[in-house]
Amino acid sequence: MVKEIERAGLPVVQMCNLLPVAKTTGANRIVPTISIPYPLGDPKTSREEQNKLRYHRVGVALSALTSDIQEQTVFKVDI
Amino acid sequence: MKLKIGNFHVKDIVFGSELSYRDGVLTIDKEKALDFVRQDPHITEAQLHIVKPGDMVRLFPVKEAVEPRIKTNGEPLFPGFSGPVTGAAEGETKALKGCSVLAVGRHWGGFQDGLIDMGGEGAKYTYFSGLINVVLVADTDETFEQKEQQKKNHAVRLAVHKLAEYLAACVKDLTPEDTDEYDFEPVTKRDSGKNGLPSVIYVMQLQSQMEEDGYNDLVYGWDANHMLPTFMNPNEILNGAVVSGSFMPCSSKWSTYDFQNAPVIRRLYEEDGKTLNFLGVVMSNLNVALEQKERSAVFVKELARSLGADAAIVAEEGYGNPDADFVACIAALEDAGVKTVGMTNECTGRDGQSQPLVTLDEKLTAIVSCGNVSELIELPPMPVVLGELESLARDGVSGGWSDDELLGPSVRPDGSIIMENNAMFCGDQVIGWSQKSMIEF
Amino acid sequence: MKKAIMYVNQFFGQIGGEDKADFKPVIRAEQVGPVQPMAAQLHGEITHTVICGDNFMGSNTEEALAFIIGELEKLEFDLFIAGPAFQAGRYGVACGSVCRAVSRRFGVPVVTSMHVENPGVEMFKKDMYIMKGGNSAVKMRGNLADMARLCNKLLDGEPLLGAEAERYFARGIRHQAWTEGNSTAADRAVDMLLKRVRGEAFVTELPIPKLDRVPIATAIHDLSKAKVALVTSGGIVPVENPDKIQSASATRWGRYDISSMDRLESGVFKTIHAGYDPAAADADPNVVVPLDALREYEKEGRIGKLDDHFYTTVGTGTTQGEAQRMAREMVECLKKDGVDAVILTST
Repeated sequence: MVKEIERAGLPVVQMCNLLPVAKTTGANRIVPTISIPYPLGDPKTSREEQNKLRYHRVGVALSALTSDIQEQTVFKVDI
Repeated sequence: MKLKIGNFHVKDIVFGSELSYRDGVLTIDKEKALDFVRQDPHITEAQLHIVKPGDMVRLFPVKEAVEPRIKTNGEPLFPGFSGPVTGAAEGETKALKGCSVLAVGRHWGGFQDGLIDMGGEGAKYTYFSGLINVVLVADTDETFEQKEQQKKNHAVRLAVHKLAEYLAACVKDLTPEDTDEYDFEPVTKRDSGKNGLPSVIYVMQLQSQMEEDGYNDLVYGWDANHMLPTFMNPNEILNGAVVSGSFMPCSSKWSTYDFQNAPVIRRLYEEDGKTLNFLGVVMSNLNVALEQKERSAVFVKELARSLGADAAIVAEEGYGNPDADFVACIAALEDAGVKTVGMTNECTGRDGQSQPLVTLDEKLTAIVSCGNVSELIELPPMPVVLGELESLARDGVSGGWSDDELLGPSVRPDGSIIMENNAMFCGDQVIGWSQKSMIEF
Repeated sequence: MKKAIMYVNQFFGQIGGEDKADFKPVIRAEQVGPVQPMAAQLHGEITHTVICGDNFMGSNTEEALAFIIGELEKLEFDLFIAGPAFQAGRYGVACGSVCRAVSRRFGVPVVTSMHVENPGVEMFKKDMYIMKGGNSAVKMRGNLADMARLCNKLLDGEPLLGAEAERYFARGIRHQAWTEGNSTAADRAVDMLLKRVRGEAFVTELPIPKLDRVPIATAIHDLSKAKVALVTSGGIVPVENPDKIQSASATRWGRYDISSMDRLESGVFKTIHAGYDPAAADADPNVVVPLDALREYEKEGRIGKLDDHFYTTVGTGTTQGEAQRMAREMVECLKKDGVDAVILTST
């Protein structure tokens, strides 16, 4: 899917946990998430922690959309 | 560490007035067997049937298969699941061969359940079509999950594990017709001849993707999700230490029967000391987070290196994101110089044109492929259905659907069906039975 | 009796050599050149021969194909054959172009034959049966016999045994099949392993295909003026799943209005994705579709606007073909709504 969106010229960032899958399927901008069933908020942590993590990683995704890249890139996250 | 499995080759199973085994015929007192099953108050309805290869009978939703066996020392057949935790690496177990006990839902199916056709063109898709089966069709009081797509199926799965042991009790004191001996020598106590052969480990990646307890494969009763890869004596797998779970599209699953008879382990034993040195099993799992997948791959690699493995066979009980565990594990082993053969199925789509695994790596040079989960299968009606066929279309079964623009519903009014291979009971047989492969068309 | 039509170039069509390569396409109700020996072997009748110069087809492809398709529309046929083209590059590409056009327009099976080094093989092997042919016309007889064998199976409705056994180039279509001699996976694996450790040749059952890449889309320069949309393959839908998106092997997708929401509420949205434990996503759908975080960024002015809809389907078991089609349909909506960039979350 990500490839078809990009093929249409829309910059797209894929947020996912399985980096090898995203790399194989050909996503160019990738931001890691924390797991498959809960990509952006671990239910074992508090609401605030989940919100903080989600806000941070979505922010990284937005930066990814504005980054000029030359090759497939996995963007670094801090939390 | 010697495991002896004494075999009784069952030629026929009949209902009668006693539980007995004589001249290849297993006789079951149906009412007594049902009374035994009903001792569990969670079982609210139970029927018992016998089906044989060639019978024009369709079974759905099938949830589990178990080979009837008994341990002569009185220990539980499935330690940590059907009884307390006891070791499974050695001892004497008696087995009724050529048959299995199947768990079938009376009404409710789910994502993980599968179909068996005993006769007709559908029979070639499942291993169990070739066995004589004692079929427990049951309903339970687990109403909390009746309408859930994901089901633990706990009561009915436990019931067939116990029933398998109950049935085999009649051969406990009989002399087996033949005996298989599995002698696993401690790895540091092998003679130089054997040590000079290429050393091989078998890596089993168990289905363990659910975070909540009750869905995953169990190792001595322990949820494989909460496990790190560990070294095991292969006898433990053959002798009840591993119990199948209740998650994953069915054709990718390994039933408890499959573990009890694991064909790769048995073939490696045949070669042991002749062409190779069978170092044992590395029991691993399939995870839901990248970090967990990578951690398991590291563990497998380091276990292999520490054991001095020259070669490995890696098999995965799943497809989709578990392919990432499978590929990562093989890549890690190859990086460590361990020559590896992988065993898997593929998801190339109904049209056969999708990428076969969700991740790919050029380090995968030797793969045995056992089928396409999304192959479309159309089968005519069967005169007899045990269970509830409608469940294939209604209950979110992987490989079944309630409606499709082009294909219509999976179950048609005349009882004919159209489904994906996904819904064939343990159909892809990556455990080692599979006579299917994948070819380019 | 079933009917077939066959395509040859100016040379095999007995028009002439290189000097006649600009010959415009014609269709004749007779069997010209190699069509005759092909017809003699076929379980069907070859009613017409199409002849076209290689250069004409190469430089006026659209015109040539339009003429040929137009003529074929007047005829009835069950199979289309072209070549064999051997190692002749222009002829191979011509055979491929004609076969593809015929297959797309009429849906009949198409068969040609080329040498492995013919550029037509790489260009067209996914779209048709290209028999593995010889490098020159010396191999004409054998190549025609090979083609006829496959054509007859297609005409007779006999199942094919696969690319390797039928000797055509693999089309990237993989299906399950029972092994010869019904050997078990356990035996195949151990035998393959023994061959590997002994350094003997072995054949993998899953050759790793080359990966397809797309060019990197240009970055957004001013995000504060951009419209961003959320797409997910995590199966988040309104609880009643109004579009009946399948929980695995999806062929449907949904587009749901979120313009009045600051977050996705549990009980209003849930996941129907069957490939993962749904508990966390059902309790808080924002862990899969981070609407709440994006609203904050919208309020802060980091992004210009969040699209009024989010897009959703299920990734598990979904074929690439279906995923591609659904994504293309989504892109159409996204573009119409003036979306500049997409965040895609997957599970």
